[in-house]
Amino acid sequence: MGNGIHSIHPFVMFFYYLSIGFFAMFFNHPAFLLAGCLALAAVNLTHDRGTAMKQWMPVMVSMTLLIILVNPFINSRGTHIFFYFRGKQVTLEATLYGVVTSMSLLMVLLLFISLNIVLNGNKILYIFSRILPKTAFLIMLSIRFVPLLKRRLTEIQDVQRVKGMTIKQGTIRNRAKSGMSILQILLAWSLEEAIETADSMKARGYGTGKRSPYIPYRITKTDQNWLIYLAIFFIISVAGGFLGYGKIIIYPKLGTLHFYPLDWVVFTSCLAVMLFPVLVEGREQLKWNYSA
Amino acid sequence: MELFRLNDVTFSFPDAEHTVLQGVSLTIQEGEFVIIGGASGSGKTTLLKLLKQELQPTGELKGEILFRGKPLDEWDERMLIEQICYVFQDPDNQIVMDEVMQEIVFGLENLGYSNFEMRKRVAEMVHFFGVEAVLHEKPSELSGGQKQILNLLSVLLLKPRVLLLDEPTSQLDPVAAKELVLMLERLNKETGMTIVLVEHRLEELYAMADKVVFMEQGQLLYEGASRDVIEKMYHDQAAQFLPYIPAFARLYMEFEPLPRRESIPLTVKECKQWIGSDEMQANLPKNVKANRKDSAILLEMEDVHYQYKKQTPFVLKHFQMTIRKGEFFTLVGGNGSGKTTALRAGFGSIKPQRGKIRYNGRDLAKMKDAEWLDNIAYLPQNPRTYFLHQTIEEEMKSISSRLQIPDANMTIDKLLDTFRISHLRSRHPYDCSGGEIQKAALACMLLGQPDMLFIDEPTKGMDPISKQQLGELLTRLQQQGLTIFMVTHDIGFTARFAERCAMMFDGEIAAEGTPDELFKGNYFYTTAINRATRETKQAEVLTYEEAVATWSAPAII
Repeated sequence: MGNGIHSIHPFVMFFYYLSIGFFAMFFNHPAFLLAGCLALAAVNLTHDRGTAMKQWMPVMVSMTLLIILVNPFINSRGTHIFFYFRGKQVTLEATLYGVVTSMSLLMVLLLFISLNIVLNGNKILYIFSRILPKTAFLIMLSIRFVPLLKRRLTEIQDVQRVKGMTIKQGTIRNRAKSGMSILQILLAWSLEEAIETADSMKARGYGTGKRSPYIPYRITKTDQNWLIYLAIFFIISVAGGFLGYGKIIIYPKLGTLHFYPLDWVVFTSCLAVMLFPVLVEGREQLKWNYSA
Repeated sequence: MELFRLNDVTFSFPDAEHTVLQGVSLTIQEGEFVIIGGASGSGKTTLLKLLKQELQPTGELKGEILFRGKPLDEWDERMLIEQICYVFQDPDNQIVMDEVMQEIVFGLENLGYSNFEMRKRVAEMVHFFGVEAVLHEKPSELSGGQKQILNLLSVLLLKPRVLLLDEPTSQLDPVAAKELVLMLERLNKETGMTIVLVEHRLEELYAMADKVVFMEQGQLLYEGASRDVIEKMYHDQAAQFLPYIPAFARLYMEFEPLPRRESIPLTVKECKQWIGSDEMQANLPKNVKANRKDSAILLEMEDVHYQYKKQTPFVLKHFQMTIRKGEFFTLVGGNGSGKTTALRAGFGSIKPQRGKIRYNGRDLAKMKDAEWLDNIAYLPQNPRTYFLHQTIEEEMKSISSRLQIPDANMTIDKLLDTFRISHLRSRHPYDCSGGEIQKAALACMLLGQPDMLFIDEPTKGMDPISKQQLGELLTRLQQQGLTIFMVTHDIGFTARFAERCAMMFDGEIAAEGTPDELFKGNYFYTTAINRATRETKQAEVLTYEEAVATWSAPAII
């Protein structure tokens, strides 16, 4: 099951990602969002030294730039006017709105990159199996067949290529025809083999009664403590948010970006939630290095 | 205690003229290791499925099947599921979940066990099988042998009293097959579990079995202890069953002047004791080089390197191979040694990252598919993938019209005749047995009169008779000038029919030569009969046929 963040119960992690997603939509203070992006980048760094993040870098950069550049030109609300472009006003408000939106989107993207690493495959299915057991089971079955079908397809392609049926060479018409034939064989063959799969499920009692799903993950004391920790800081942040902290007014007229003392409290508790994986990993590191 | 009793069981599929099982009576005692043999289509799988209530095929069943003294349908459904478990032939088809752990507990989940019970059973069984390391892997990433162990494990968690297995090793390589069989023996010996095994590869099983049953056309022909059955089969000289007798037992019956039932050798060790070890210095390996053919080179691979993905290791490295016109060349090697990859590179399905492959002197990379693919044929492991049409005849007609063969009908008739499959011409390919469909596919391929035939694991899951027929067929085709490149792990088959073979290891050809040069003297990579005759008073042989030909006098005991 791995250590560090991977040993945390999927429900705790799921709650964490839900909170982050909520924050990304809820707060719109640029400082909050920037801190969120940086915190999530740090989280991703602890997962795999940023390998996955690097792959997404071009998407993230181009998306952010696109929104920041395009928004002021298509949106002309606001009172602080920079200049006029083709008769339309380009405002500070719209620019800032673009920045805020792009950062909030960036946060969601970073969240999913991290989620993809931590709650991979079976963990996410496990969460859904508690909510939608039948759907999760069906998804599991289908996922299992993907590599099987892929292997069969390669085999069929090999055989049919030597027979003169290929989708890689020849006229488009012939390729399409070959492709159809290959799929037809794949379908017929797989259906035939699926009989044995069905038999094997039946032989092991599938459909005889109510299934009792195996629960591979147990909530430990540590998980409980972390969950309480997350919940407390989440509630503080949300309560603060409803009182107006961590939010700014952009339209129709830009409000102040000033930080009040209570803003700092909300900001810190937000960070406490967002940096949770970093804390987990850091604690683990300390234990490794300094415990006897 | 009597576990199963079959009283005069007759079974036929709906609308079928023939009965699949005809008056079968059989008892299976608790704790017995029973082996059921027989050619494909002899009804052994149907017999096995009848013992498992949930898998009983629809059809007309006469006679009665008692489980622990009560007919099957009077038992509680749940109890039957748990007590009688079934493992299928294909390792892949039985797996339904995407994680090993989930797959193992699948049966327990279905039956609604508590998590406590699941954890307990998993912990115990996983340890017994030593598969902790793969618990969180995906089944698609396991080897065939591991998959079959997983299937076994998954049913064993239900704590069955009897385990039914339908040719569980037919899709595995010899090493993995042996591992599985040893696991079964251990289960039988250590837990007293009853095991009923339908199997073609019997050589090692005779020594383990308490009871051997042979079937033909739905009837039980032989039934009894291993040695009794061997003796009876030998005396009857039933040609269809002789290949099922282990080669060394057959030699014993042939060469022993006074064969005694109790001393029929069932293992290599017993056979060696019978022949008597050679006091003289063991024959030094001969360093003779047989005359090589000097015909033109047809397929040549030069320093070929291949890897499937950038991060994965090279499957082929420094791979060198030449196949001359008219040769029967075989590549043997363990699972994952890269032999199938080499074959696929040979007909251009994969493009090597480095190295050259030449067919008839021309570089494959520089040719269009259409320029040369008509000259070759490829017989895959699963010949079903070859067929597109509803019947074999339609398939052949469509091929001949594509290739514009004159007198198509006559050629088709002739081919079907030489392959002795005229009776299958209007049958759907999926309704044929493994041997039949293979022959049909071969017949279709020969329509195009290819120069070279690529074959991938042709003997997988085949009964000994079909194997023999295939071997003879291939030899005949070779004599007619066809070049054959075969990849297999069936050493018995290679030793008997191939002309030149090579052993593959770690992405390259480790050794090559005639079967004699390559296999004699190996410990594992050789036939059982070779192991039994090495360093004995008799000449070392690879096959039964060779022994009959070279051993002149009966062994002196």
